[in-house]
Amino acid sequence: MSLSRRRVLEAFGAALVAGGVGLAFVRSRGYPAVPGPAPSALDRSRYALVRAVAARVCAPDAAGPPSADDVDVAGFVDAYVSKMAGPQRGDLLKFLDFIEQLAPAMTLRAASRFTRLSAGDQDRVLAALEASEVDLLRGGFAGLKALVFMGYYRDPRTWSVLGYEGPSLGRTVPPWPMRVGGVPT
Amino acid sequence: MADARGGRAHVTVVLGRELHGEVRLDVDAVVVGTGAGGAMALRELARAGLSVIALEEGGFHQPKDFNQREEQMLAMLFADRGGRVTEDLAIRVLQGRGVGGSTVHNTNLCKRAPSEVLDAWAERHGVEGVRPAELAASYEVVERDLRVSEIPASMVNANNDVLRRGAAALGWRHGPLKHNRVGCQGSGFCELGCVYDAKQNALKVLVPEALAAGGRVYADVEARAIRSAGGRVTGIDAIARDGEGRRIADVTVRARVVVLAASAVGSAALLARSGAPDPYAQVGRRLRMHPGAVVAGTFAGEVAAHLGVPQSWECTELLDFSPGAEQRTWIVPAFAHPIGTAATLPGFGAAHMTAMRGYRHLAVLTAMLHDETEGRVVTGAGGAPVLRYVMSEADRASLARGVVGCARLLFAAGAREVTIPAIPPVVLRDARALEGLDTSFVRPYSVPLSAVHPMGTLRMGRDPRVSVVSSTGEHHHVRGLFVADGSLFPTSLGGPPQLTIYALSHHLSRHYVAAARG
Repeated sequence: MSLSRRRVLEAFGAALVAGGVGLAFVRSRGYPAVPGPAPSALDRSRYALVRAVAARVCAPDAAGPPSADDVDVAGFVDAYVSKMAGPQRGDLLKFLDFIEQLAPAMTLRAASRFTRLSAGDQDRVLAALEASEVDLLRGGFAGLKALVFMGYYRDPRTWSVLGYEGPSLGRTVPPWPMRVGGVPT
Repeated sequence: MADARGGRAHVTVVLGRELHGEVRLDVDAVVVGTGAGGAMALRELARAGLSVIALEEGGFHQPKDFNQREEQMLAMLFADRGGRVTEDLAIRVLQGRGVGGSTVHNTNLCKRAPSEVLDAWAERHGVEGVRPAELAASYEVVERDLRVSEIPASMVNANNDVLRRGAAALGWRHGPLKHNRVGCQGSGFCELGCVYDAKQNALKVLVPEALAAGGRVYADVEARAIRSAGGRVTGIDAIARDGEGRRIADVTVRARVVVLAASAVGSAALLARSGAPDPYAQVGRRLRMHPGAVVAGTFAGEVAAHLGVPQSWECTELLDFSPGAEQRTWIVPAFAHPIGTAATLPGFGAAHMTAMRGYRHLAVLTAMLHDETEGRVVTGAGGAPVLRYVMSEADRASLARGVVGCARLLFAAGAREVTIPAIPPVVLRDARALEGLDTSFVRPYSVPLSAVHPMGTLRMGRDPRVSVVSSTGEHHHVRGLFVADGSLFPTSLGGPPQLTIYALSHHLSRHYVAAARG
């Protein structure tokens, strides 16, 4: 099913409003405090949601690799989102709210926040988004997944999983012909 | 403003943060954008002795600023911090932003436009003066100035050798590519900016030459509107930003000539929000992008595809330039660093990490579509560009043939397993599995699509009813307003566009130089 991005995002917003502003208000309580400095772009509930999504998306396949929390994926996503252009940031935040508040009901028929689901149920919700009949949900999930992996694989501690050497910096950089500064008069 | 050091002239780029209040500039010409087309325009205008400036929306970054970190360089060097997508989120669009434009992050492929394509521009779209023989002189200038050469066999890395071996085994058309690198260290980080300064690109070659000739570049200065009066362009209204993107100055440029070279996305959006005459609603139409899909092969031995020159070999077996042809994909290697690879591989969680453990054993090819879909660039909130692109069924089917072609090549080169990263993933263990494979899953949203070559939104042509500028690059309805970037292309190219953008801008320079002289 192909719907315009705007219409679907508006539908997310409308569903959140019409279906449960009050409920969402009640459900917005009980999120843990954010460790470390206050987030720039994500409120407490969205920060918790990103942590939960990252924990599943970056779930290690064996003992050894760092967890998403170990490399502070949520903190990275928060910093990244804070610098996104307004419209894109708004769309992403709506999508996060959708995952937290509505996706469990759509997928599992469970009246629960995403962050309160078991790991297995969270995986089922995310897998349903990735393979959704609604193209925009697929696209939204792909974007969120890319952002989460950016937060995870940016950290050198994850590179040993891949056998990735990281940057090759350290060699001499040739002289550069341009300098910065000096407004011509 | 200029001095000498290390045998090369030192010249100055003005940053937006140095400007305050209201800034008024009076010049012969102003160029919008500093990528392949814009840097060439700036140089040619400056060399002609004209007073010329270039406005660059993005920042000014030098090799010392590049650190080979994906999460930082994507944000620094790409539009929308690397997150640009089509309106429906179906296709990721990677475009440069900053002095040098996409030439800073591209993989330096230098290939002239196919003669079939240039001939079609002349015969089907009424473009004059761009047949292969007519463009040859400009191509030669660009190839000389950017030191274009064939990539030597010693620089063909293992991923590219997979393509070479696969094509040879199948008897398919293939060969080495040309590039504009000198002193390449083979680090493999081309798409994140070359810290070794080996790219002979707009940033390294043309912009310094332009500045040495008296041109000026203003970085972090965004053109917001084109001004015109009485059917003539009069200048540009722009805003300067500080390093954090905050608006700190209004810039008004008065000029006899404006050259748009802010890419097929940026130039079209600027023209659209400026309200220039567009009686046939042509601005922004016929967006093409070469959307591509990747296929991964797992090899028993180590490939380490992230090391070395990323793209040095091509396969053109499935590339037919006839309009409406069934086979319209250009196949080249396309490996990524960890973040890009993780985002492309299907799934998530433990299974995804297991797949990532095979990173060094993966070879990846991409089928890049010589597309005929007609997308559009329009403006959204705040005049920002919005890319509308819904792939036609004919293009989808052609892309699917290319994807299958990539799989065949990988198997022919010895892959023990081939993965098409669809949802759900298609994992093949034998080339025979490709026979009769239902490829309807190869479609937007089902396979990750990305595009790196937006083009064609302000196309050139004789007929104002179906084009925006004439064969001189000048707007049909606004004198003195020129276009000199990939927006000009009447069709998609079916190959890397940078050389043709440089060459077209050079080819058209006699027209915009003459207009600037008044």
